[in-house]
Amino acid sequence: MSTIYEKLATAVLEGNSDKVPDLIQKGMDEGKTAKELLDNGLVVGMDEVGARFKRGDMFVPEVLMSAESMKAGMGVLRPLLAEAEEEMLGTIVLGTVEGDLHDIGKNLVGMMCEGAGFEVVNLGFDQPPQAFIDAIKQHQPDIVGMSALLTTTMRAMGHTIKAIEEAGLRDQVKIMVGGAPVDKEFADRIGADGYGSNAPAASDLAKEFVSAA
Amino acid sequence: MQVKKTNYTVNATPTFEVLTEEEIEAIYFSALRVLYETGVRVYEEEGVEIAHSGGAIVEDTTDDSSLVKIPPWMVDKALATLPRKVVVVGPDREHRMELYKNQIYFGAGSDTPFTWDPYTGERRRATYEDVKNFAKIAQAMPNMDFHMSLGIVQDVNVGTYDRWQYLAMLEGTTKPINITAVDLDGLQDQLEMAYVRVGGKEEFEKGPIFSLYIEPVSPLSHSEEVIQKLLFATDNGIPFVYTPCPLAGATAPCTLAGTAVQALTESLFGIVLSQLRKPGAPMIIGGLMSNMDMRTTVYCYGSPEMALLSAAYTQITKWLGVPMYETAGCSDAKMFDEQAVLEATFNATTAALTGGNMIHDVGYLEQGLTSSMEMMVATNEIVDRVKRILRGIPVTDETKALDVIEDVGPGGHYLEHDHTYTRFKDLIWQGPLTDRQNWENWDLAGRKTFRDRVHARVLEILETETEPLIDEDMYKELRQICELADERHKGEELDFDMFV
Repeated sequence: MSTIYEKLATAVLEGNSDKVPDLIQKGMDEGKTAKELLDNGLVVGMDEVGARFKRGDMFVPEVLMSAESMKAGMGVLRPLLAEAEEEMLGTIVLGTVEGDLHDIGKNLVGMMCEGAGFEVVNLGFDQPPQAFIDAIKQHQPDIVGMSALLTTTMRAMGHTIKAIEEAGLRDQVKIMVGGAPVDKEFADRIGADGYGSNAPAASDLAKEFVSAA
Repeated sequence: MQVKKTNYTVNATPTFEVLTEEEIEAIYFSALRVLYETGVRVYEEEGVEIAHSGGAIVEDTTDDSSLVKIPPWMVDKALATLPRKVVVVGPDREHRMELYKNQIYFGAGSDTPFTWDPYTGERRRATYEDVKNFAKIAQAMPNMDFHMSLGIVQDVNVGTYDRWQYLAMLEGTTKPINITAVDLDGLQDQLEMAYVRVGGKEEFEKGPIFSLYIEPVSPLSHSEEVIQKLLFATDNGIPFVYTPCPLAGATAPCTLAGTAVQALTESLFGIVLSQLRKPGAPMIIGGLMSNMDMRTTVYCYGSPEMALLSAAYTQITKWLGVPMYETAGCSDAKMFDEQAVLEATFNATTAALTGGNMIHDVGYLEQGLTSSMEMMVATNEIVDRVKRILRGIPVTDETKALDVIEDVGPGGHYLEHDHTYTRFKDLIWQGPLTDRQNWENWDLAGRKTFRDRVHARVLEILETETEPLIDEDMYKELRQICELADERHKGEELDFDMFV
């Protein structure tokens, strides 16, 4: 007989969103705390997802299905964790910068980060610097992620970082950037704190940011 | 007696088909349904208004966009005025593309952030000099019929790099060019440059020396910049490529038929809008359809699905009578290696065998992020082979050569025969980079691999002195347009160089 933790981890691994809330309820009935179910169940499942993805044994649609089930679990656990005053992993504000309608890469990052246990505020695409500034003020995120697919709109990431600086908010957040034409060198030049080459890398980077904080 | 002679030569060209006519119709009529029932989102007011006054239903208008639904009769009307043939020429009128039906033309891809330096063997950000050199390679390659900027010029300002790219290409080639534009201003400047190059607006209108690349965003979105470019091109007689780049499984259905339906819906909207604006406006639809790699999330440029989708879409465009923008000569490989040649061979062959008209992206590596001169030179040779296959085996009294067989008879040979002497050069394919030496000679010649020979050819082209293609005065005039643009857009730049 596998334990409730193992069952939860397996449900996440299999991307079984329907089953996860029931299993959490069952765990609570057995007397487990929300924190225990998260750390020993959901997170263990998601870690395995990450490991398998890196090995090439899992594919993006499968990972997203797992992230979706993680999110379903978090939906149940979040109020309980807040009640017990447990620390959450952190909040991320995400957006595609001004002038760029390309959406999917950034959405993948959002889903991966949600799967990793972050709160994600997805601003959408074609977002001017002011939208990022407003979102930082409103949501007090730990991390701001921005993306651009075009070389011309890459520049807008630099403008946005500058605007965040001028608004006096730069020290409050870690900034990560991504998108097909972006690389580490460019991220450094525009004063970002990090660069993610794809969605899983961005999610790992976000985890690094909060664990270093 | 050959009674069916009309049909005869048509059948002599090998073809590759992946859809039946019924399937093509099913895809087309499904696209009409999506265009009418799901609609497309348009982020430009004038575009919405034009569509609306032409009969489209406009719904769900927000601050920045509207959902536009096009009834099928509007598409019928647009297709009736859309030219079935589009012509783009080189500035000296020597090179010419007649885009229709089975006419095939190969050329480069555009705007890669990176390039392989042929001298240092390193991958780095592309510069003005690289783009000029790529144009020089294209100029020297007989099977490259048009050109695009194989690198984003990154040693100039970011907001105006498109003018510099065009200048670099004009310095290197006299073939027709498919330009990209940063924005409407960039397009206007490049049109101005083209007028200078060809000797005025009237000359350009007689035969446009560039076409414009426009890319709506999948799924079903047409951005402000895209619509502005479409309208400007239409107003100014610039043929344009309207090519969505849907990714099966990510920005389009995972099923390839679904991807084709969506891409066609996206293209049809462009057709309707252009023909409402100006009946007879020339356009080319395409063209880049592929799948997302589900491990790495990259856009695949060398997958069999891309070749298959390209073939299907080519058939659809032929059925519609619209020139096609195909994709081939490109690869997901990081460098010019076995995978690169394998994938380019595969997609160039299927593209040619289906007969897509303007076949772009020759020279692409790393999913279109890096360009390679070796890749272009190698693809030139691949295309040469494919063209030999396309010539097929004509079967006539003359080619069956019964009189020659009779003449030589049992036990003789054909090497000395006039029949061989007058025909072999034409009929037996030779490639300058293909090795067919025997072992001893290959060994003596330094055991050169295909990669070595291709690389040597690249250097040979780069190091061959050529006459300037534009004179000094014209160069100055063109350069001034670029510099004035830099001046106008100075304020938009970051206070440091983005790349170099």
